Amino acid sequence: MKMSLNIIRYFVPKTKCHFSWKNPIIQGTIQYTTASGSSDVFNNMTDWETLSKKKKISKAMKAYLERAREHDDFMKKQQFEYNIGKRHLANMMGENPETFTQKDVDRAIEYLFPSGIYDPAARPLMKPPEEVFPARKAAEFDEAGRPHHFLFYTGKPNFFKLLYDAVENIQQANNFEDRVIRKKATPDPNGKLDLGGSVWLTKEQLEMALVESITDLEYDNFKVVMERLVSLPYSYRHKEFIEKHRKPLASQKFALEIPKPSYDDEGKAYITTYECLRKKARGDVTIKSPGTGKITINGKDLSYFEDTQSREQVLFPLIFTGMQDKVDVICNIEGGGPSGQSGAIRWGIAWSLRSFVEKDMLEKMQVAGLLTRDHRRRERKKPGQPGARKKPTWKKR
Amino acid sequence: MAKNLRIINKYTSTYLFNKWPVVTRIRDYGKATSFPDYFQNPIFRKEDQVKLIESNELSKLASIPVKPPAVYQTSSAYQDPLVNKVINHVMEMGKKQLARSLVEKAFENIKRKQIQRFHLASTPEEKAKIILDPKVILHMAVENAKPLLQLSPIKRGGITYQVPGPITEKRSLFLAIKWLIEATNEKERTVHFPEQFAWELLEAANNTGKVVKKKQDLHRLCEANRAYAHYRWQ
Repeated sequence: MKMSLNIIRYFVPKTKCHFSWKNPIIQGTIQYTTASGSSDVFNNMTDWETLSKKKKISKAMKAYLERAREHDDFMKKQQFEYNIGKRHLANMMGENPETFTQKDVDRAIEYLFPSGIYDPAARPLMKPPEEVFPARKAAEFDEAGRPHHFLFYTGKPNFFKLLYDAVENIQQANNFEDRVIRKKATPDPNGKLDLGGSVWLTKEQLEMALVESITDLEYDNFKVVMERLVSLPYSYRHKEFIEKHRKPLASQKFALEIPKPSYDDEGKAYITTYECLRKKARGDVTIKSPGTGKITINGKDLSYFEDTQSREQVLFPLIFTGMQDKVDVICNIEGGGPSGQSGAIRWGIAWSLRSFVEKDMLEKMQVAGLLTRDHRRRERKKPGQPGARKKPTWKKR
Repeated sequence: MAKNLRIINKYTSTYLFNKWPVVTRIRDYGKATSFPDYFQNPIFRKEDQVKLIESNELSKLASIPVKPPAVYQTSSAYQDPLVNKVINHVMEMGKKQLARSLVEKAFENIKRKQIQRFHLASTPEEKAKIILDPKVILHMAVENAKPLLQLSPIKRGGITYQVPGPITEKRSLFLAIKWLIEATNEKERTVHFPEQFAWELLEAANNTGKVVKKKQDLHRLCEANRAYAHYRWQ
């Protein structure tokens, strides 16, 4: 039977051969025969040895290929539908479908499907399919069904590889320290690792990076191992590895763009900050320079606020920067109570003063927290309990 | 009118490609009720900032997100954390304005009494001894009222022993302020809080009075219960 197959093979074009050869001796004879034949080129192009090794495709591989094909088809279909949907949206919004970006899609969805749902994750959305459907791992095993990864049987190879690498780095750092001590050399004082401006990846971010879901305990372990690596004196030698798993915090926003002041009829420089907010209060603040320290709030002076605390809050940025008698402040504010209104004005004054103060004063204001927008809102009441967090008195029975 | 204005303010119009206005609503929901934990506490007091500049840490800290100062915090020279703390302890049912006015009234009473004493004093040495600043008096009073030891009940063999031990800084501050306010509230109905509080503060600052006696009683009891001290770790 095998011999007959052999013969067939000899006549069909070599690119279409899917047969596998079980007997190496037979294979050898074929090679010999083909070599003696006229088609030398074909023979050279076909890697007979590897073909013969691929004896059979394992069941796992077969299933994987099947799944991968299904997934590819699905994603292709989703991508096609997304593109069509995007064009429809663009037409609905009366814009050019060719230049319609994802940002425009989000805006259009928010406009066409206004949603009052509390949780942002539950509101309608239209995102490219690769964002909606999580990425999948590529083939984890070869065609014989043997896994590529040496930690495949842990179930979470990427995560445990990360821990493995971290420990290897720790050992290297320790060995290096030993060598330095043996040589009696002094450590490099400039090599200190400064991680003030970044934080570890959150659990979700780490999961995205690893393409694996991890438990809370495993995430804690990750943090413990990385902290231990960072705490070593020579951890700066593994900076690249550490930085890879950290995310920079929001950088200096105040330095981004400080607006140039405009000039009014009297030649005074002024800056208006809109959308000053805190709690339920909304308003705008105008600062004029040079001024005499006159404060106008909704047409009244500082006595608009009856309590001392709110007045202090309004004066806080002015006193902090030492500008209390160099500028005039005009505010319009509405909504909320005295605490919210004064907080909104405080932020508005601080934000506008950026145009009138020195660079080092900006840094001081940032450290003092005056330039941070207070986006906190009242937490909603929950059903089944008397307040946002308050629970009814617990009675055993 | 004001309500209509507010609605207009809520909807900000933006022009897209100069074609037609799109009204987008600024939403109030789904916002966080607290800051993430990597936000640092603000450093806004003048003297703390001077310290930062001396140690060259200011520019380093400037790249880290910072929480905004709370509503009761300012960099004003009149701001004192201990006074804030006392106001919060005096406060009942969240009436902070009232509490603040009471404490300020007490300060006024202290100032009046001290100025009276100042004028009654005959020699300059006696005059120099009298402290006129009510905040300094408050600090002295709280410092004198702070206990150094505490008794904690520990059960051994079915008998509860009052075991003396060291006290944390925070708890001793809490007890000092609590005792001062408790002593103030033990008053005649006709006497107002600010007057009695001013009197208690002056007494405590002078290392006399009910509160200091209470502290000394506690110390004496701790001394008497020394024999049980080993129950803290056995």
